[in-house]
Amino acid sequence: MKTLLRFLRPYKLQTFGVLIALAVNLAGVLLVPTILANMINIGVSSRDFGFILNQGGYMLVAAVVSGAGAFACSYFCADLVTKVGRDIRNAVYDASLAFSGGDFERFGTGSMITRTLNDVNVIQMAISITIQMILPVPFAMVIGIALAWSVDYQMGMMLLSFVAVVALIAVASVKSAARIFQRLQRFIDRMNVRLRESITGVRVIRAFGKEKTEQESLDEAFSEYATNAIRVNWIFATFDCSAFFIMNIAEVAILWLGGNRVGAYAMEIASISACVEYAMMILFFIMMAQIGALMLPRALVCIERCREVIEHAPSIADGPETALATAADAPAAPAPAGDVVAHFGNASFRFADADEDTLHHLNFLCRRGTTTAIIGPTGSGKSTIAKMLLRFHDVTDGTVELCGTDVRELTQHALREHISYVPQKAWLFSGTIADNLRYGAEDATDEELWHAIDVAQSGFVRELPEGLGHRVAQGGTNFSGGQRQRLSIARALVKKADLYIFDDSFSALDFKTDAALRHALAEEVRDAAVLIIAQRINTILNADQIVVLKDGCIQGLGTHEELMRTCEAYREIARSQLRAEELEALMDDANAKGGA
Amino acid sequence: MAQEKDQNMMTETPQNAPAPARYADPAEPAPSGAPEPEAEQELEVPQNARAVIARLWRESRGEHWRFAVVLVCVACYTVAQISAPAYSAHLIDLLWGNIQAAHARGELFTIGWETGGRELLTFVGIWTVAWAFYTVQSFTMASFAERLNLKLRHRIGEKLNRLPLKYYDAHKPGDVMSRATNDLDKVSEVLQRGLLSMLMAVGSVTGAAIMMVRLNLTLSLVFLCFAVIAVTGTRLVAKRTLVLAAEQQRAVGILNGHVEEAYSGRIVIKAFNQEEASSARIHEATQQLADTMRRTDFVTNVVAPMVRCLVRLSQVVLALMGTSILMAGGLTIGTLQAFFQYVNTASEPLTQFSLTINQLQSALAAVERVFGVLDEPEIEPDPEVPVHVAEPVSGRVAFEHVRFGYDADRPLMTDVNFVAEPGQKVAIVGATGAGKTTLINLLMRFYEIDGGRITLDGVDTHAMTRSELRSHFGMVLQDAWLREGTIAENIAYGCPGATRDEVMQAAKTAQVDFFVRTMPKGYDTLLENDAENISQGQRQLLTIARVLLANPAILILDEATSSVDTRTERSIVQAMEALTQGRTSFVIAHRLSTIVDADLILVMDHGNIIEQGTHDELLAQGGAYAELYNSQFA
Repeated sequence: MKTLLRFLRPYKLQTFGVLIALAVNLAGVLLVPTILANMINIGVSSRDFGFILNQGGYMLVAAVVSGAGAFACSYFCADLVTKVGRDIRNAVYDASLAFSGGDFERFGTGSMITRTLNDVNVIQMAISITIQMILPVPFAMVIGIALAWSVDYQMGMMLLSFVAVVALIAVASVKSAARIFQRLQRFIDRMNVRLRESITGVRVIRAFGKEKTEQESLDEAFSEYATNAIRVNWIFATFDCSAFFIMNIAEVAILWLGGNRVGAYAMEIASISACVEYAMMILFFIMMAQIGALMLPRALVCIERCREVIEHAPSIADGPETALATAADAPAAPAPAGDVVAHFGNASFRFADADEDTLHHLNFLCRRGTTTAIIGPTGSGKSTIAKMLLRFHDVTDGTVELCGTDVRELTQHALREHISYVPQKAWLFSGTIADNLRYGAEDATDEELWHAIDVAQSGFVRELPEGLGHRVAQGGTNFSGGQRQRLSIARALVKKADLYIFDDSFSALDFKTDAALRHALAEEVRDAAVLIIAQRINTILNADQIVVLKDGCIQGLGTHEELMRTCEAYREIARSQLRAEELEALMDDANAKGGA
Repeated sequence: MAQEKDQNMMTETPQNAPAPARYADPAEPAPSGAPEPEAEQELEVPQNARAVIARLWRESRGEHWRFAVVLVCVACYTVAQISAPAYSAHLIDLLWGNIQAAHARGELFTIGWETGGRELLTFVGIWTVAWAFYTVQSFTMASFAERLNLKLRHRIGEKLNRLPLKYYDAHKPGDVMSRATNDLDKVSEVLQRGLLSMLMAVGSVTGAAIMMVRLNLTLSLVFLCFAVIAVTGTRLVAKRTLVLAAEQQRAVGILNGHVEEAYSGRIVIKAFNQEEASSARIHEATQQLADTMRRTDFVTNVVAPMVRCLVRLSQVVLALMGTSILMAGGLTIGTLQAFFQYVNTASEPLTQFSLTINQLQSALAAVERVFGVLDEPEIEPDPEVPVHVAEPVSGRVAFEHVRFGYDADRPLMTDVNFVAEPGQKVAIVGATGAGKTTLINLLMRFYEIDGGRITLDGVDTHAMTRSELRSHFGMVLQDAWLREGTIAENIAYGCPGATRDEVMQAAKTAQVDFFVRTMPKGYDTLLENDAENISQGQRQLLTIARVLLANPAILILDEATSSVDTRTERSIVQAMEALTQGRTSFVIAHRLSTIVDADLILVMDHGNIIEQGTHDELLAQGGAYAELYNSQFA
């Protein structure tokens, strides 16, 4: 609720506009029957046509004013709702940008998308419903009862009691209906789960010949839903019909009381109908509000879900430094080869909800002009190493330094200026190829782009009719996995950096392309440090140093040959990927070199 | 809702009074099969409304009596509802007469049985009759739409089993799902409320019009003028809302695209320091959406109030004229007030009319899509007299001049031939799109071949029933699909009768037993939500255990590329080796060691097998395989 108020605050104008317009509108609406009653009363008693004309004028004004009120209300409502919706969406998205990897994974991509889009839709609809279906109730009640009171106090009291009774019933029914809705929701979820399973699992289901069982379980979910939906409909019909009945009673009661009061000179004949109308209108608004109110619990959940994102404090905060200590002196000067670019000093990492460290006391250096490779099983934490350098995750113990500065001392922006990264999942953005390649270096020339394309073995770009201007679909889905990966490598190469990180970036490439790319790459990144995270041993055979990671610990550190001799974990990987003869050849090779 | 009773109602109420089913959408659809983000006004038009209605009518056979009951009730209800104001006119006039008489005698007036009490009771009676019919009709309709939906859902469920794989591969899961959920919900919502209020509106308008004319012709004509203006106006606006809704749909689409893209690529955005640019991009899209939404919302919301305003203006005119006629003695107080009640009765449905039509159209479009799914071509039925393979199956599989294309005009396989002898390990290699998966699809008859034949132990697989054919195969795919249920249930998916010991034995062989034991409830741990709680590698091991337990003669394995860690992979390899003993196996191979050890290597390119043989044979040939193999060590 507080969150919602926060988003409403900037729109005081619209909020007051809505309230005033509603009041004006309802006053006008209720005045029309009042004036009509006056006209008839006078028409019957005094036959003063001048007075009637006069009243006709008032009625016209009331009708026009109330119309204008409705018009303004619709406008303010639409304006307010869409602006609030936009602001919440922006807030959710902007909040997500500051999230660390762990923060984001806590929510999950699917859930974040839902929060940004669907949840906000629900919130918008709820505000709209509140304004149009629920807010009129208090206005109508106050104005209607006041008008009835002005006709006759007994009338006013009777109306008040009717309204009170109906309002109580409405509140009670909304409460019970909300419960039933929650239950219905469970059946809907089940139906969705079953459906999704039968669709995504169609191959397995058919392979096992389980079509019948799946269909039965689908049918069961469908029937359960139908039974409960019908039950909900019945409950609604019950409420609906009882409200109908109460309206009848109210109308007759007003006629009866009205007759007596007119007979007692307390009010005039035509006002009876006016009172009937006030009653009907209030009851009607309560009915509407009752339907609208059912929508609100769900919207509250959605607001809460958006709030979680907006108010989530990012677990990684910027450091104070905006530039590297070394880079500040001579940013353009070519740094000497061999200096340390990245340094892991006894670095450990543990996920927030884990009992055990994912990475244990890592110690290694990446030097300029050399290639460091990390190999190990998937669960071993290889990607986490890259993410620690980029500060998608922070070390929980020890340090990670870039060119001698602790990465946590830097702003994230400054840190990432110096690193060029090829993520495991090659992701491109909609736009042109050129847009994508310039992602890390806005002012790169076309030649530079073509050069990066060649290095990344993305010759296919040259065959595209529009070349660099070729459209890239969302996520790059109009390219194959391998093409995406190569473009993503090219994109990283366009950005000049001190450290290039390739996170399992060669896996979608065939062996041939992989090899050619590595050759070209070696030339390209001579002045920087390179960190390659790999699955395939062939990819890293020639690295200057290989870090063998297993269960988050460094099992071996050295060149391929050294590791073949000394590191059992490394040999195990080699054995699983290579055939015996090749292995033998490599072993011999290693021994020979080692011996030489 | 009760607004039908609302004869003297001139209120500003939103058009899209929510219906419960609509708001009961899943709060958080899962990302993969997620229905499209709900649009508030998804207004579409059916291609052929009449045909859809006719078919819907046929589909609702068995529920027609409900419809008849409802029609009768609506008719009776309308009569009662229309006569009520007339009677109240009579009542008011009677009371007024009695009151004036009493006042003339210098007395106060109180209603007694003889002086209006009887009539009041009659009035209650009239309303009670109306109420009774309304109630009967509400309860009759309460289950009509859901029953019809259940029937259609059942048909979709059946259909899912008869749709060819081609359909699944060409459609997103979310598309099919939203046919069975959102689209049908829309239908029930409209049938439940839209149709009913439509019927009642027709009744009310007709009845009110007749009564108005009977009361006073001149006043009726005046009202008619306003009514025509109002209806024409709303019809125009309703058309405009269709255009606006489409515009909004586009804006929603654009924003969806940007948001999905940005969230999926957030690592890249951050790594390249593009947060600001990305934020600006999203803000632009949200702004655009807000702009179109504001227009759409405003137009949809403002129609009804404006029509009501028009009606109220007509009332001003009618009030002036009516009062004059009243003074001239041409009308009584009661009849004048009754006339106003009829004005309200007639104008409220007119207000809703155009938008209700939009809703009905959109619902019909939804039904049309549902029928579209039901009408999709189905897999050809199994042969009536299927041929059986002699048990025990030895597992000899042969492709003979197999031709196939996903598209009839774009053949993929032109002439595929090979023989897998019983117990052989066949490795399939080739680039993405070379046709490896296609081979499996044909083997399992997920797709039917266009020419040639595939045999199992010499029997043409096309002459067998699919279920028998498939019962001889076991598949382990990269996409490790598990069902909602316990781990034990999942392992025993292929043979539900398996004992716990057998399940555990399979799990042990698949090297997943230890992992399962670490789960809080062991084999009874519930897998929910696409089994998100366990890793891809463990999922794959579970699917291996599943196949192990089913104990098929032939295996199809899609080797994991990168999702499984080396250790797990070794477990898998070991499990596989035990499993492949004495069984024919087809392996989509990514690992060289697998390929090298294979009895037969099929090198595929552009759908066809370009080379086949053992590793040594192929190396000696010096063709594509040799090149691929040698490039490894470049």
